[in-house]
Amino acid sequence: MNQALAVDATGVTKNFGTVRAVDDISIQVAAGEVYGVLGPNGAGKTTFLRMLFGLIRPDAGTIRVFDKTWDQAGVGVLDGVAGFIESPRFYPYLTGRANLEGLALLDGGVRPGLLEEVLEIVDLTDRAERKVGGYSYGMRQRLGVAASLLREPRLLVLDEPANGLDPAGIRDMRALVKRLAGSGLTVLLSSHDMGEVEEICDNVTILNRGAVAFHGTIAQLRTMAPDPGYLLSTTSDERALALSRHHPHVEVTCDPEAALVVTGPRPEVSSYVASLVRADVDLLGFTATQTPLEALFFMLTDESRPSAAHRSEPLEEAVR
Amino acid sequence: MTAVQSPPVAEREIVSLPSRRGGLGAAFRFEVRKLRTQYRGWAVLLAALLAPIPIVVIIHGQSRPPKDTLFGRFATDNGYALALLVLGFATQWVLPLLTAIVAGDIFASEDQHGTWKTVLTRSTSRARIFWAKTLTACGFAVLVLGVLAASTIVSSLLIVGHQPLIGLSGQIISSSTALKLVTASYVSALPPTLGFTCLAIVLSVWFRNPAVGIAAPVVLGMVMVLVGGLGSIEAIRSGLLTTPFESWHGLLTQPRFTGPLVEGLLVSGVWSLISLSAAFAIVRRRDITGG
Ligand SMILES: Nc1ncnc2c1ncn2[C@@H]1O[C@H](COP(=O)(O)OP(=O)(O)OP(=O)(O)O)[C@@H](O)[C@H]1O
Ligand SMILES: [Mg+2]
Repeated sequence: MNQALAVDATGVTKNFGTVRAVDDISIQVAAGEVYGVLGPNGAGKTTFLRMLFGLIRPDAGTIRVFDKTWDQAGVGVLDGVAGFIESPRFYPYLTGRANLEGLALLDGGVRPGLLEEVLEIVDLTDRAERKVGGYSYGMRQRLGVAASLLREPRLLVLDEPANGLDPAGIRDMRALVKRLAGSGLTVLLSSHDMGEVEEICDNVTILNRGAVAFHGTIAQLRTMAPDPGYLLSTTSDERALALSRHHPHVEVTCDPEAALVVTGPRPEVSSYVASLVRADVDLLGFTATQTPLEALFFMLTDESRPSAAHRSEPLEEAVR
Repeated sequence: MTAVQSPPVAEREIVSLPSRRGGLGAAFRFEVRKLRTQYRGWAVLLAALLAPIPIVVIIHGQSRPPKDTLFGRFATDNGYALALLVLGFATQWVLPLLTAIVAGDIFASEDQHGTWKTVLTRSTSRARIFWAKTLTACGFAVLVLGVLAASTIVSSLLIVGHQPLIGLSGQIISSSTALKLVTASYVSALPPTLGFTCLAIVLSVWFRNPAVGIAAPVVLGMVMVLVGGLGSIEAIRSGLLTTPFESWHGLLTQPRFTGPLVEGLLVSGVWSLISLSAAFAIVRRRDITGG
């Protein structure tokens, strides 16, 4: 048995009635790494993590956590493991601090000063005496992280930790996860956002409808990614389309939304756009559709998204 | 399916931390703490403490005693009789309700707040949580019955007086003996009260809904009173959880008979055991998918 594995799941399957939520998946998370489980809604991420925590039982397969299984070690599997599933929940009639104190009791006590430390880390010191019932969603999410850190875990399991947060909250949550990962903690994170996983994780498993669609490093994933795509709108789309024939590496198609979709390696796209400007075709809009990894993610999970502007780049940068 | 294992970014020595886990005592303390911060528990205790006083005052002030109930005839001018009258009334549905307000909620509220996952993702076994909750609910039941008994007996004796009591066989019972018997009568209500506590627990676990956990034991209790009163088959009657609530009657007769007390203890024990076993099995096996 590999001692360096924090999580070693093999052949895990779970059915809910006739729905196969998790279908024979195997995931290995090495100690010290930041691992992403990525998938669209209903892919089975939460179901997998619930099984890891023993909240539900797998129908088949085994999950070893630091070389212990539920069958052998019972609740001892969770020694050194912390995290939350979906949005963290607390007792609304207790204050933030009282919630943490109660959970610390269940943990068998915490070292002095730790409670203050974790409140400080998640920036909730000022609100700790308020009842959780009055907390905002983001505050509850942060309290969830605090409650997890209270266990001084070796493995932190977070189920879509940035879900439902505003952009600033997402940024802070990602920064926090990165900081924690930097301290050597093993992090197993689920997400439906490729950008998030790309930013934080070393390794990733992409789930689709309960089954593994990809398994590997972010670097491997990048080599598989298609060229970036852009939405282009001009004063004369016909001329723009005609001009694209001089740029064999650039593919330009007409979108049903009456915009042009440009795909190709970035330098070729730049020179194509520059040729449009030279030909007096004015650009009315130029935005990136999806990042290549996002596009790959949608391909792997066969989910065709409308080419909405997920990430827009300044016009000059693309033209330059 | 292949699992690609790539080298970890920061391979570390896994230090085996001392496994820290709270015991049953810790889980129990957390339950008590939760109960103490909720207003429902205090409301029930306050009701058990204060409600008997106006009831005693009102019955004492009646010009015509409620003759058709046990000890009703003497209740307007004998404190012991009045305390027993209140006991007879409390066992109809009040005690099942008071205990169910906490016991019927204690498991279901975890579903309501989605907090099962919060506690079960600590290193706490389901068994430990189960017993901590059960202990809390049963402890609360004992407390409520104690407060109700103390408040009723003290206010009856202070307001109505502690004259010797006329027993169910017409015998005169001295004041000091009457106090012991009345106290024992209240104590005899404890086993079935705990039985209703366990019934509320299993309903709370089963339906995962506080309203059902609280209301269903009371309704079931009323149905049992009804079935018991229909003069149905004795075997059914003696097996009902409401029958032990009457076992104290034997204490007030001449000669006393304690058979019903033992039987009541057994019946309550069986109800409790079945309820708790079922509840435990459900808690142990269920998938925690909500929250
Ligand atoms: N308790 C349940 N009963 C029935 N079906 C369930 C249950 N929980 C999950 N499922 C089903 O299992 C599948 C996987 O769900 P799961 O919640 O694990 O997905 P997910 O990847 O976490 O999705 P999301 O991104 O929406 O959180 C879905 O089809 C879902 O409908
Ligand atoms: Mg999910």
